[in-house]
Amino acid sequence: MDIKNSNWRIRRGKIINARQMTASEKWFDIQLEDGELDHEPGQFVQVELFGIGEVPISVCSSPTKKGSFELTVRAAGRVTREMHKLEKGDFIAIRGPFGKPFPVRTMVGNDLLFVAGGLGIAPLRSLINYVMDNRREFGKVDILLGCKSPKDMLFSDEIGKWSKRLDVNFACTVDKAEPDWKGNVGLITSLIPGVNLNPERTYAVVVGPPIMYKFVIAELLKKNIPERHIVLSLERHMKCGMGKCGHCQIDHPKNYYCCKDGPTFTYDEVKEAKKL
Amino acid sequence: MAKEKKVSNKPKVAFFDFACCEGCQLQVANLGESLLDVLGLIDVVEFREVMSEKWDKDYDVSIIEGSITDHHAEERIKKIRARSKVLIAYGSCATLGGVNGMKNSFELEEIRKYVYGDKYHYFDSTPTKAVDQVVKVDYYVHGCPVYQPELVEVLKCALRGIPYAVPDKPVCSECKLNENVCLYDKGVVCLGPWTKAGCNSWCTNNGNFCYGCRGLVKNPAKNAAKDIIARYNLDEKLMKNKFEMYNKAKEVSNEPKK
Amino acid sequence: MKYHVLEKEQLDCFIKSLAKKMKVVAPVSKGSGNYAFQEVKSAQDIAVDYIPTILPPKKYFMPVREKMLDFDLSGKEPKETAGLDACEMAIFAVHTCDLAGIQCLNIVFNERPRDYNYLLRKENLFIIGLECNKYCDSFASCALVNSHLPNGGYDLFFTDIGNKYLINVNTQKGEDFVESIGLPKAGASEMAALEKVRESKKASFKNEVDVDAKKIPEMFEKVYNSKLWEKVGEKCVSCGNCTNVCPTCYCFDMDDFINLDLKTGSRIRSWDSCQFETFATVAGGENFREERSMRQRHRVYRKFKFPVDKFNRFFCTGCGRCSRTCMAGINLKEILKEVAEESKF
Repeated sequence: MDIKNSNWRIRRGKIINARQMTASEKWFDIQLEDGELDHEPGQFVQVELFGIGEVPISVCSSPTKKGSFELTVRAAGRVTREMHKLEKGDFIAIRGPFGKPFPVRTMVGNDLLFVAGGLGIAPLRSLINYVMDNRREFGKVDILLGCKSPKDMLFSDEIGKWSKRLDVNFACTVDKAEPDWKGNVGLITSLIPGVNLNPERTYAVVVGPPIMYKFVIAELLKKNIPERHIVLSLERHMKCGMGKCGHCQIDHPKNYYCCKDGPTFTYDEVKEAKKL
Repeated sequence: MAKEKKVSNKPKVAFFDFACCEGCQLQVANLGESLLDVLGLIDVVEFREVMSEKWDKDYDVSIIEGSITDHHAEERIKKIRARSKVLIAYGSCATLGGVNGMKNSFELEEIRKYVYGDKYHYFDSTPTKAVDQVVKVDYYVHGCPVYQPELVEVLKCALRGIPYAVPDKPVCSECKLNENVCLYDKGVVCLGPWTKAGCNSWCTNNGNFCYGCRGLVKNPAKNAAKDIIARYNLDEKLMKNKFEMYNKAKEVSNEPKK
Repeated sequence: MKYHVLEKEQLDCFIKSLAKKMKVVAPVSKGSGNYAFQEVKSAQDIAVDYIPTILPPKKYFMPVREKMLDFDLSGKEPKETAGLDACEMAIFAVHTCDLAGIQCLNIVFNERPRDYNYLLRKENLFIIGLECNKYCDSFASCALVNSHLPNGGYDLFFTDIGNKYLINVNTQKGEDFVESIGLPKAGASEMAALEKVRESKKASFKNEVDVDAKKIPEMFEKVYNSKLWEKVGEKCVSCGNCTNVCPTCYCFDMDDFINLDLKTGSRIRSWDSCQFETFATVAGGENFREERSMRQRHRVYRKFKFPVDKFNRFFCTGCGRCSRTCMAGINLKEILKEVAEESKF
């Protein structure tokens, strides 16, 4: 018996552009056969490589970009390593979009502080570009960026453009650099004290590896940003995207399914979790 | 094997045996229907048990049975590794050291004397090692003997160049799904709770207990063993002996080669 | 409510008539006090007097391994189809605890986005319940969660009233079958016998944990950070038995399998367990539920706290399987007692 409305059915797409960004990250621009992905900033898709498996990947492009959407994929496991072999013109299958997006509508009219560490720039970029394309809806915008070394920086061309915009305050730092690097060296937390902000009207959106959250959030709280104004995007292994398989449940008294109740959360929602 | 087959562009696969009973190689012959499908995908270029031909070029896939128990074997496995694009450790002797590892419970000199008598120094012997304690291993097919469906899965992965993950959960996880009566309910010591799954609880499906031939899970529950011994009133020594049957070589030697 | 009557000696006829229409599964003895639902051909095969089976009947609703998608990579672009392999089947002698378990799963898989594999498969299943007149063993806690009595979820429901079964008909499908084999309607004496059974059950089915079930979610609010979970974690084997045998656990894994032609294959859903070491691990290696204590706590909260917040019901049906199957002796009733004590209820 054929299940026409099965939620396991895939959406067919084509890779219209692909580029190796760093040694471990590759970028893909994807066009779907059935039209727009129709996502919101912060959502993710499941990428299916038939015969290998499925992985959840954050959409890194803004919905304001029409015609295609973008993914940045780190080769970390069996599926993502295979995915790196895909090139322009190749077929790709996805399900989604899934998940609760960043609260863009509640953020309207407020100042925004974006903090991205490492691959965290990928999901955050969907929001940053959305804000750039709707810039007058928001107050002051600060972008803080951290990565391991200058060569690990993702979207460096685009970041260069952000840094030149007059309506954006931009700072970045690297953990380690060659002597010819002129920018900051140090942890991303070191950038936060220097940001001039009004805590009551600021939303801080933080995306990075689990280890980063603890320290960045501590700095933000020192700045008196309310817990419910700190927005995070958490990483878990979503296997179904539909709030059922159970893998992505957060170890928290509220039993959030990261794929459905998240991946974006405010800090006050998830602060009781031992690991963010 | 016909000459024309040798020039085909199918992957060249060779079987090699070291210290073992060769029972795992027999499992290939026991593949039954899927054997023909497997043979449709590969060229077997060396397989001492069934053919006399040798291959003088590189191997796409080498399948190694047996553990490494003397200096000659160490040199030989290193040479095979150098000629192999992909190397599969096949069967408990190769993946863990297996029952040959029981040798490591004794002083080497003593056990050599016991086995070979006073001329023992003519017979080289080293502590038993699993293949990955000497050379890098790309894929593991655990088991004594190997479980055929898993062999087929690993072969498919090897031929497609994607990793195979041995399940890191206990045999119970499969045994329960097969609705076997728990061996502990029958008062029998079973190593299922600590042994890696992937065999579809082959032994317990057939009324036997788990001997632990696939090796321990990464984080075996040590405390639970005490609770289980207490709950079922079991002999602690018997349980320890059962653990040593397959896991001795891994216990004493170094980490896998990268 | 409609009731019919079946003489006990007619049970074989009943099973055989059913088997003519569809596959029939029922509890069968496996020895050493273990039972399993298996295909049966006659009443003789059935262990009518059984304690909860090794696996609950959820295995028919959500198979251990289930194909969600077929794919074919031989063409220029992959082709895929989503299908369902299911046959009509009757599940006979389902205890009330397991009926409650199926109801829990129905709720979960009906939640959007819906799981059509589950929902469509379920339509093929004819469920015949069987009341427990006796208490099964000390592991059960069905009276605590009130699942020792029928609360719907069946087509037909059998109660042993001596030399007869009284059959409660709950669906048209059930009615059609009962009519087709010409079972007589129940009379006043049979209804009185049912009352008697229910009355006598009051004496043997008593709240096993001695706490007010309504207070349980509140209790759990207080013990999230308790040391008690470390004690449970120390014992745990991480074998996943407790979740595999649970009638309301439904977590699963998805895997791609390719056939030996290396061109065709399928996406398979298989049962998974939050107790496994790798369950909450991500590709980078981070494990978000690393300790056994965290995993055991999670399991218990998934029965008594989280589903109450979400669906306003316990996801423990009191069947006792998790405690019965745990080789290391982790006992759910003991945990509940400790939770009650620590939270001072």
